[in-house]
Amino acid sequence: MNKNKHLLLWSSLGVFLLLFVAAGQEEFGKEWRSIQKASRSSEGALDVRLRQIVNPTLGISDRCVSCHVGMAPGESGITGAAVTAAHKNVVHQTADYGCTTCHGGQGRATEKADAHGTVHFWPQPMLPMKYSQAGCGTCHSSLNVPNLAGLEKGRSAFERLDCLACHRVEGRGGTIRPGGGGMEGPDLSHVGVKGYVANWYDAHVQRHEQAAELPWKNSFGAISEADRAALSDYLATRVGASKLIEAKAQFNSLGCLGCHKVSGVGGDAGPDLSRAGEKDPGQANFTHVPGAPILSNWLGEHFRSPLGIVPGSQMPMMGLNEKQIDLLTMYVLSLRRRELPGAYLPKDRVSALRFGAREFATDGATIFSAICAGCHGADGKGARYPGIPPFPNIAGPDFLQVASDEFITETIKQGRPGRKMPSWSSEAGLKPEEIARVVAYLRQLGGNTALVTDTNPPRWVKGNAAEGVKLFAANCSGCHGAKGEGGEGPALNNKVLLSTANDRFFVETIGKGRRGTAMKGFLEPSPVRRALTQAEIESIITFIRNWETKK
Amino acid sequence: MNTPMIEPRSALQVFRDNLLAAPRRLRDAMFRSGKPTTDRTRSTFVFGNVFLHLHSVRTHRWNLRWTTTMGLGIATTAAFLITLVTGVLLMFYYKPYPDAAYDSIKDIHFVVPTGRFIRNIHRWAANVMVVAVILHMARTFYTAAYRRPREFNWLIGMGLFVITLGLSFTGYLLPWDQLAYWAITIGANIAQSPREVTDALNMTEWFDPGGFQRLLLLGSDIVGDEALIRFYLLHVMILPLALVALMAVHFWRIRKDGGMVRPADADGRLESRKEETYPVFTEAPKKTYQLAAIVKGKTSVVNRGPENTVPSMPHLFYAELAVLMLTTLICIGLSLLSDAPLKELANPAVPENPAKAPWYFLGLQEMVAFSAFMGGIGIPSIVIIGLGLIPFLDREEQGTGEWFGGAGGWPLVKQAMVVGFGASILIEALVIRFGWLREWFPAVPQLVITAINPGTVLTLVYALYSVWLVRRYNSTRAGALGLFTVFLCGFVVLTIIGTYFRGPNWEFFWSPADWPGH
Repeated sequence: MNKNKHLLLWSSLGVFLLLFVAAGQEEFGKEWRSIQKASRSSEGALDVRLRQIVNPTLGISDRCVSCHVGMAPGESGITGAAVTAAHKNVVHQTADYGCTTCHGGQGRATEKADAHGTVHFWPQPMLPMKYSQAGCGTCHSSLNVPNLAGLEKGRSAFERLDCLACHRVEGRGGTIRPGGGGMEGPDLSHVGVKGYVANWYDAHVQRHEQAAELPWKNSFGAISEADRAALSDYLATRVGASKLIEAKAQFNSLGCLGCHKVSGVGGDAGPDLSRAGEKDPGQANFTHVPGAPILSNWLGEHFRSPLGIVPGSQMPMMGLNEKQIDLLTMYVLSLRRRELPGAYLPKDRVSALRFGAREFATDGATIFSAICAGCHGADGKGARYPGIPPFPNIAGPDFLQVASDEFITETIKQGRPGRKMPSWSSEAGLKPEEIARVVAYLRQLGGNTALVTDTNPPRWVKGNAAEGVKLFAANCSGCHGAKGEGGEGPALNNKVLLSTANDRFFVETIGKGRRGTAMKGFLEPSPVRRALTQAEIESIITFIRNWETKK
Repeated sequence: MNTPMIEPRSALQVFRDNLLAAPRRLRDAMFRSGKPTTDRTRSTFVFGNVFLHLHSVRTHRWNLRWTTTMGLGIATTAAFLITLVTGVLLMFYYKPYPDAAYDSIKDIHFVVPTGRFIRNIHRWAANVMVVAVILHMARTFYTAAYRRPREFNWLIGMGLFVITLGLSFTGYLLPWDQLAYWAITIGANIAQSPREVTDALNMTEWFDPGGFQRLLLLGSDIVGDEALIRFYLLHVMILPLALVALMAVHFWRIRKDGGMVRPADADGRLESRKEETYPVFTEAPKKTYQLAAIVKGKTSVVNRGPENTVPSMPHLFYAELAVLMLTTLICIGLSLLSDAPLKELANPAVPENPAKAPWYFLGLQEMVAFSAFMGGIGIPSIVIIGLGLIPFLDREEQGTGEWFGGAGGWPLVKQAMVVGFGASILIEALVIRFGWLREWFPAVPQLVITAINPGTVLTLVYALYSVWLVRRYNSTRAGALGLFTVFLCGFVVLTIIGTYFRGPNWEFFWSPADWPGH
């Protein structure tokens, strides 16, 4: 009985002690309590309590403001540790939108590591501060962003025309005159959100003409129509997230959509990226990723060396520089689109959902650089990635002189089944007018090369097919494959190619070759072979044409 | 001489005296017999209390030895009480609806005062309960306490064991995280495993007990809100009520079946009693004095004197309270050391790989990996039926109340442990190294694998071994000892392999560090 008494005594004491420890942890172990105790507001010491922003519509209970007291609704002038600083002024009210909606992290948590989400089993850790604009992607699609060149054109016009003399954009410009006054024009940093006065130019001209004194008198001059268009495009992208816009422009300049889909537009060769920014770091393989196991590091390393991160990845090494990688990382992190309650659907999202508005600007240049440039190069001269057959040069004069607009349009519409080139007339593709703009841009890219017309009918070649077999095997199969299935060179047994290309296309291409590619003109001899005659070329074409009907 | 005047007390004085006397009177009213200081009041303390009267008023000294029961039954009960209290507290905050459930657990974890601590205790107490109930069962078995007249209580105990697992399993889903979701998916698939046979016989279309079991469990084709509310109701209402009811029967039957089991010569083996433990009866009563006319059989003291008992109050209650507090201490200590798991929000689109059932089912899952039907239904049924049959097959009396049935038992158990561990490790090693029929003969019909798989082979080996023991020692008890031991060893081996050595796609890995992709 004594033994039992002792056991009872000691285990009861132990329970008491452990409960005491637990109570101590509960009361004194919470960091947010000590932060609030150390903080002061204008009215003295803070009331130490759990603070949170609750928005049932958005499904958030963000207790971040228990530590970041200065960002809590209704608080101002808090002094204390750095974490208690107020939020900088942004488009959205933090009291309404909360914290995690934009920044990610675990709003319900009340401890730093858990709240910032850098713990196991929390799929949406906070965005690193340098990428925090990626958080806009949670709700916004931000429409019609041009490619980098287009964005740069607008920005340089804005600066060249010295708009910054009166206007402020992202903290630059809008000179304050000594003795007060100045910054004559409004701040344009967020002008893309609500839009700007459509007749701003006429209004400016009018003010200028009526003005009798500085600054209107001599600081405004006529602006050309092209510059006005560039300014408008630029201002439309001023939504308070300049780095994200630049990131989107970067994405629209590398042709990633040729293989990847984003919001329903793009090719099928790579994974759909529409929600790639939400990838759970817990599901990613960080074995070969230097630095902390966070998604931005994974993405950066993936852009540097796709195969080093994802075994068997088909993604080519794009040879990007660090700035491009940084921007692309930002862009992909912004692909975190969440389902939203109707009241919170932003306008851009509605127009994308309802009216099929694009995220990229739909001028020929932006479409080409956003979709085609990945394979055909930003200059259209083709591209060559290790381990992948080279992509054809489509902006050279040799091609553009013999390829009609219809041929190019059909090629874009139907693609090259079996090859990397997908069909762009599907749901995930382009509208007819967009394709037309791409074709027009392509001609522009090739130095405004027009189609050289001739009078022959589309099919006039009548060569000796039996002869063609031998000639093909001797001269063409090395690059185009024994059965024309393609290899180093494009596939020639492709039904779409054979049905859309006319005979002249083949005759000229074989005869004169394609400058800038491995295809040499066969009418000329080379050190390793003799020249072909026109008749022989026609025989080859006749033979190739057989594939159009044969299986 | 002055006789003092008896002054009538004023009403106000009466009121004051009554007020002062109220605490004492309340105590008297609650404990009618006064302080338990004499034999008589100690007895009334026990039988006058609704909670204590399941105990006998006197307890045999043998039963108070730590080695007799190791307090495992009380520990199980204590763990249950702890889960009951903490569980009710958790119910104040828990919301049984998908996603909201997860958020409410997050709130319990982060915001509810001591919520994390309470949840940890609940989780640890549940695990302690599972371990304790298994050990309690083993203790009961190894001391042959299941024998006549306690066969039925053994069956009740098995029921309690199953309900304990059920409680633990239903609680697993409630956090609605990835761990929970996929563990329950696995569990539901185990319930569906009869399909392996019906599919092979091509009759699932019109006879589908597996699908029905799964539907019954989940209330839907998927693990969704229907499953959650089902599991919640089972967890907080149906199973606890069933458990309490069966516990009442279990405790009651302990007394009705003659109290705690003791060796026949227990009195002789106890060291001489101390002063305080004087006997009530100095010689054996010749007949029962209680309800002689209506109770069948004899009460336990008849023809058994002079007995060697002490008053239950306080001796037994100190022991029970000590075990209760020790269990509490263990649960609280573990709770401070390790948090109950909570992974990401359940996501039906991202399967956990490996998806593992709760640890006590991982032995089953290991066998399910060989054959869903045999692992999930067949072998567990055989084991349950076998356990239930033991008290009816082993009708011997020798060694009752002795650990391992006295001399000769322990060597036999050791030998059985070697066989149990050896056979299970050997067959696992064979499967892991060389594969099984499917790898050797890809075209083999599924029914053959259902019949012949590592699980069934192991079961057969164990069964043959115990038959051999029965013949070798000419004793059913020897066979039972061996059978129970080998199955316990097999359970341990399979559970450990399933817990620690199975990785993605249920492949064998020496350590989680070797898992691909991590």
